[in-house]
Amino acid sequence: MQEKDNTRRKVLIGLTSAVGLSGIPFAATPFIAAWNPSAKAKAAGASVKLDVSKMQYGQQIQVAWRKQPVFVVRHTKESLENIDSALPKLADPNSDQIEEPYKGQNPTRSKSSEYTVMVGVCTHLGCSPKYHPEVEPKPWDASWAGGFFCPCHGSMFDMVGRVYKGVPAPTNLPVPPHFFDGSILTIGEDGGTA
Amino acid sequence: MINNQLNILNIKLSKFFVALGLLISINTIDAAEGGPCKDYGECDEFKYSLNDMASLQRGASTFLNYCYGCHSLQYSRWGRVSTDLQIPEEIFFDNLVFDKSIKPGDLMIGSMSKEQSAQWFGVAPPDLTLVSRVRGDDWIYSYLRAYYEDSSKQYGVNNLVYPGTAMPNVLMALQGNQKLVCKDVPVIAKNGGEKRDDIGNTITKEKCGYLKVDEGSGELNKEEFDSLIYDLTNFLVYVGEPAKAQRERMGWYVIFYFLIFTALSALLYREYHKDYHK
Amino acid sequence: MSEMVGKLFGWVNSRLPVSNTFERHLSKHPVPSKVNFWYLFGALASVVLIIQIVSGIWLIMPYSNTEEEAFASIEYIMRDVDYGWVIRYMHTTGASMFFAVVYLHMFRGLLYGSYQKPKELVWIFGCTIYLAMMAEGFLGYVLPYGQMSYWGAQVIISLFGAIPYIGESLELWIRGDYYISGITVSRFFALHVVALPLVLIALVFLHLVALHEVGAGNPEGVDIEEHLDDDGVPLDSVPFFPYKVLNALVGIGVFMTVFAIIMFFFPEGGGYFIEMANFEEANPLVTPEHIAPVWYYSPYYAMLRAVPDKLGGLIVMGSAVAILFVVPWLDKSKVASIRYKGIYSKVALALFGISFITLGYLGTVSVTEVRKTMSVICTVIYFAFFLLMPIYTKYEKTLEVPKRL
Repeated sequence: MQEKDNTRRKVLIGLTSAVGLSGIPFAATPFIAAWNPSAKAKAAGASVKLDVSKMQYGQQIQVAWRKQPVFVVRHTKESLENIDSALPKLADPNSDQIEEPYKGQNPTRSKSSEYTVMVGVCTHLGCSPKYHPEVEPKPWDASWAGGFFCPCHGSMFDMVGRVYKGVPAPTNLPVPPHFFDGSILTIGEDGGTA
Repeated sequence: MINNQLNILNIKLSKFFVALGLLISINTIDAAEGGPCKDYGECDEFKYSLNDMASLQRGASTFLNYCYGCHSLQYSRWGRVSTDLQIPEEIFFDNLVFDKSIKPGDLMIGSMSKEQSAQWFGVAPPDLTLVSRVRGDDWIYSYLRAYYEDSSKQYGVNNLVYPGTAMPNVLMALQGNQKLVCKDVPVIAKNGGEKRDDIGNTITKEKCGYLKVDEGSGELNKEEFDSLIYDLTNFLVYVGEPAKAQRERMGWYVIFYFLIFTALSALLYREYHKDYHK
Repeated sequence: MSEMVGKLFGWVNSRLPVSNTFERHLSKHPVPSKVNFWYLFGALASVVLIIQIVSGIWLIMPYSNTEEEAFASIEYIMRDVDYGWVIRYMHTTGASMFFAVVYLHMFRGLLYGSYQKPKELVWIFGCTIYLAMMAEGFLGYVLPYGQMSYWGAQVIISLFGAIPYIGESLELWIRGDYYISGITVSRFFALHVVALPLVLIALVFLHLVALHEVGAGNPEGVDIEEHLDDDGVPLDSVPFFPYKVLNALVGIGVFMTVFAIIMFFFPEGGGYFIEMANFEEANPLVTPEHIAPVWYYSPYYAMLRAVPDKLGGLIVMGSAVAILFVVPWLDKSKVASIRYKGIYSKVALALFGISFITLGYLGTVSVTEVRKTMSVICTVIYFAFFLLMPIYTKYEKTLEVPKRL
């Protein structure tokens, strides 16, 4: 009788504890889920769509995405041909040191062979680099082949945002997830297919 | 021992359920006396069906076509409506979203500025996101069907549920011309029976305040119009609390869980209660 | 592995009285072996307190305590925050359940004379907790900044204006502004979220310590300390852990089932838990048709409206709560439990219960002549229950209390 009581007791303790404890993850779910980005955050962080077909060759535009400026550059044929003209001056020409989503797909570092899409925040201390596409001597570089110059501390990037050696900025301008659907560029989403 | 345990459960449960029963039966704070539906009398009963997607979709379409021009739904987001109502986003945005700059994550802030509409109407058309929770779904359902012709008012209409409303009858073209009419109704005696004269005919009295729509003056007949208003009210109930359907679904599981837990812990308690008399 | 855990435990235990406390207050703490379901409400109250604190903390995160954003932030919680609606309803349901449980807990006290010597201080701490809860509930209800939040606050704060001489300045001081505004909301926020919860937790702790010092009562009013076994443990007792804990577990199961039913199916409680008017943003220019407090204040609201004079109403309302504190000294009975008290006490308690519930109902409906008269009658009965207690408890014939449970 004693034995049977003891087993019954153990079984009941076990069952009740199991049922009780199994409820905990469900009870915890709303509290954990409440920390996920809310619909408001998702709306504010939503991807940005723009029609880039109206861009002129050699033009750079800037759009806001997740409170950051994103540069879109439409390269001229000449610029594309000379894309590696500053190669020896670059610190990380193949983007080995950073996570680049579309590495190796195009010389432009983006999903398109014609446009470059990158976050326009200097990787040094966050200023906004200025677009200088003209291939002519500049105060910061006698043999400037076109690119971006950051006025705050003098960092230099090439036409597709790759950082120069010997400047304060450590890494290339990051490339955000994006995809092209015809002439509509969506920044912030991958689009799935490569 | 078993009796003791059942007693505890019994008494606790019965107390709580009596309390609950009282709560459920008093559905709104106001009773019918000069109640929420004012001159209309008792509001017509409305039962929401938030799992009827077709109804909600029709309601959304009616709202966006007839109401959104003046009334905002400022706490609701476009994308959520299309998702919850199972309308493919493209179809929703192509057909029901008339401002093409709107993105799915945007709030439905309305198409009229509050200052201007306050000037035009005397009072800005209120935001309707929560109207079903403030006024009640019964109220909305009755209000939208209680307009009648009244030449003494600014827009030529008045409303039995909301006398003196500043809102015109936007759906008049669909409902038709509704008027207040008088009818001959049987006189009811104290015992509830109809009064009859010497020959056996029912004695009637003229009673006014009934609503009647002029036949054929609207695009929809009475059933169709009532159905339209049902869908519209249903949509407003959804918009008032988008999580409502999910909440009621989840509730069953949670209650089931606690019932199992209670049963098991009762068995466990009884098992240990055996120790009391050792 | 278990040896290591044992060593770790030993290290902690020699620096913090873990096992001592566990034995003193749980596994070797004697409680009366025969109690009924009325004795579960204290444990349930602590469960609700925990629910309110946890859900409350999570609500603070997305809530905005400014006049412009408060109302919208509630809808943000309901719609945009994942499962925000669960947390919101948990908190509103918890508020009503807290009062339901505490009212029943207090009624147990009246039923079984739980306030009698030596538990007077337990009772006093309890009344203070009740007072703090009423303040906490009022402050919390203002935070969503709906119509009822605003106008309810307007009514209650204007009550302070009835106090002679200092009334108007007090009103201004409480509001922090010439009318209820965001300044009022943000200070009520601080009080509701930090100040009063700390006070409540401290009071609950003291309430439990005072209880454990003298020991819990029972429905018979028997002093279990009078009959001890050879080890000095009361014969009619069982250790709190595991026996009463398991008992409480069943009560918690039933309670949570009811809680879930309300939370998932009737969170607005028909307009009594979340008033309909509160789904409309506060508008100082438009007064709602019926200004009514939430159900748990309605008995006092009925009393307030029964008295024609504003200051008089305030005094009556205040006295109704204050008189609770002195019950241990009003009850002159030789016995503790209603089971053994005389017919007067039984009738008085029944009338008290009926009048309190009736006052509760009257506080939720609009005033008519008939209802006003009823409120007056019920208020008189309410006070008579307390004020006549020294007389009827002293002179009634009581039954003999058994020696053992």
